[in-house]
Amino acid sequence: MNEDKTILIVDDEAELLEMVRGIFVRAGYGQVMTAGNGPQALALCAARRPDLVILDVMMPGMDGFSVLRELRRTSSVPVLMLTARSEAEDKFTGFESGADDYLAKPFLPRELLFRAQAILRRTSPATGHRVRLAAAEVDIENAAVRRDGQTFPLTAKELQLFRKLYENAGRIVTTGALCETVCGPVWQGYECTLATHIRHLREKMEANPSRPVSIVTVKGLGYRLDLPDAKGAGR
Amino acid sequence: MNPVRRFFRRYVFSTVGLLALLLFTNIAVLVVLLGISEVKGPSDRFQIVDFCAHLQGGGSSWQADPEAIGMLKEERAWAMVLSPAGQVAWEYQMPAELPRAYSSGDIAQFSRWYLEDWPVTVWALDDGSLAVVGRPKGSMAKYYVSLGRDYYDFLTTLACGIFYINVLLVVVLFIHSARRVEKAMGPILNAIRSLADGKPVRLQEDGELAEINTSLNRAAAYITRKDNTRAEWIRGISHDIRTPLSVILGYASELEESGELPPWAREQAGAIRRQSEKLTSLVADLNLTTRLEYALRPIDQKKLDGVELARQAVSEVLNDGLADCYTLTFMEAHPGRHLPVAGDPALLDRMLSNLLRNCIRHNPGGCRITVTVAPAPATAAGCLFIIADDGCGVSPAQLQTLNRGGPLASTQPADPAGEHGLGLRIVRQIVQAHRGRLSFSNTSPHGLTVTIWIGEK
Repeated sequence: MNEDKTILIVDDEAELLEMVRGIFVRAGYGQVMTAGNGPQALALCAARRPDLVILDVMMPGMDGFSVLRELRRTSSVPVLMLTARSEAEDKFTGFESGADDYLAKPFLPRELLFRAQAILRRTSPATGHRVRLAAAEVDIENAAVRRDGQTFPLTAKELQLFRKLYENAGRIVTTGALCETVCGPVWQGYECTLATHIRHLREKMEANPSRPVSIVTVKGLGYRLDLPDAKGAGR
Repeated sequence: MNPVRRFFRRYVFSTVGLLALLLFTNIAVLVVLLGISEVKGPSDRFQIVDFCAHLQGGGSSWQADPEAIGMLKEERAWAMVLSPAGQVAWEYQMPAELPRAYSSGDIAQFSRWYLEDWPVTVWALDDGSLAVVGRPKGSMAKYYVSLGRDYYDFLTTLACGIFYINVLLVVVLFIHSARRVEKAMGPILNAIRSLADGKPVRLQEDGELAEINTSLNRAAAYITRKDNTRAEWIRGISHDIRTPLSVILGYASELEESGELPPWAREQAGAIRRQSEKLTSLVADLNLTTRLEYALRPIDQKKLDGVELARQAVSEVLNDGLADCYTLTFMEAHPGRHLPVAGDPALLDRMLSNLLRNCIRHNPGGCRITVTVAPAPATAAGCLFIIADDGCGVSPAQLQTLNRGGPLASTQPADPAGEHGLGLRIVRQIVQAHRGRLSFSNTSPHGLTVTIWIGEK
């Protein structure tokens, strides 16, 4: 699935550049390009149109934020900022400039890969992408669940909730985070409605909604989507 | 209210109070003096009345008893009684040069002024006779004042008006003077307050207090330069160390997971990876604690839900994977109730995360950890975060140190996890930055309980 993706890594540190390139090559990404400075990165972006840019912030000459702003004038390519600056204000600057995610150095290779995969999944979902659950299959593109030969349509809010759970599959998603996904930053008082949506999702996706195995309640905290072919934080 | 304003307001109030006290004292002294003069002062009317009571007779024949004579002697006075016809009917020690007969005009004149320079007092007797008592020359002053009623009322009103205007003037002048002091002192006091809060200070170096302003500016510049140098140094180190650490961590992690390497090599790569992660954590903590210490990290005051904050912190720890020997439970004292707090979500999350990871780090044999969120006590709004474990806990001496806010080294003397002691320091700094409260207690029968209160405003 990753062979057809093109990744561009931009950093002025040659050793780090080589290490990150190795991580993506070993993870099966077909085309991994590198650039040592901003202008080179912009030229490569224009010529090769990568699917994802891993961009360092602190570079001599043109810094990462400037590269990102320049890039955003002509392209909506997803960008993951990779930087030695971890202060919150730097993160905000990155997001304001149009970054899709932000990862502080030092990082674990696996975390970098997970974040890259999550961005790619969000920004270019595979057509006809289906999620296999223990008792059902969810067709995200068509907002439908197929179980026992039957098809159950998903409402817009149910689909939003399922996407959120799927993006964090194997991880607990708190009640507040789920409510916020559906109704924005002022979500207080929505918990009962959320419980209703979750019940409806279970009725469509679980063999026995009273004993759910895919959308699991984590008492007091929220819910977790468990996929049959994944363990822990894996997909 | 601004403390500087409060200080000067109190100054003005106390001054006005002093003025009122002064006024009251004056009035009290006046009343006392009047009372004393009423009791002890020369009361001619009384004396002459008293004297007249000892006179007997009528018409042209009058007698004074020995007591009356004694009273005159005591006063070194002379006396006479004028019959209704103006003839002297009785006399005592009367100067020879004085006439023995008086017309009504003479009587009208001396009764108000003097009789040949002798100050005299008069009293009308029952039969129309007139008793006259003369004092030694120069022993009394006699003034006769006669004013028109309108003019008298005007004078009284004027006197009162002048009195009140004076009082008002004193108060206004005083407030004006206090304002001037406030104007001059206010910026200095504010600057000292800002210095205490670690904020930059820049005062105008002119006016009467220019010298103090210059000194304060110099002190502020020195403190800022020192703090910035230290913070920049740590920040620079932390930045410069991140890239090499990324390479070490990245390759070590790849080698640890590589199937082509023998187990011992993967184990060694794992050790490098773990130590690199520790270094990463140390660098991040050092950077954060410095930024909090020198107030370089702005506190983002947002309205948050305390329950959701705790949920996210607990979920993060669970999502990162928790060994089977630990149980982590989340509890709400009042399920379904929102507990609003004001604060920086990233910092508050860091605070809870540090405490939870502390429980795990200091209890390598496992423990049960409970995170409870509860409403603040009735006297305060906000939220209580209670993180309790049933692990090894701390000694009473360490507990005392923790509650005293003393230097927070690792709570474990021989810490196998190699804790650098910044975790709790950061927790304390975050609580202080949010004007919250932090306390430590022992969990029964063993373990440690940390209680944090974060307010709503």
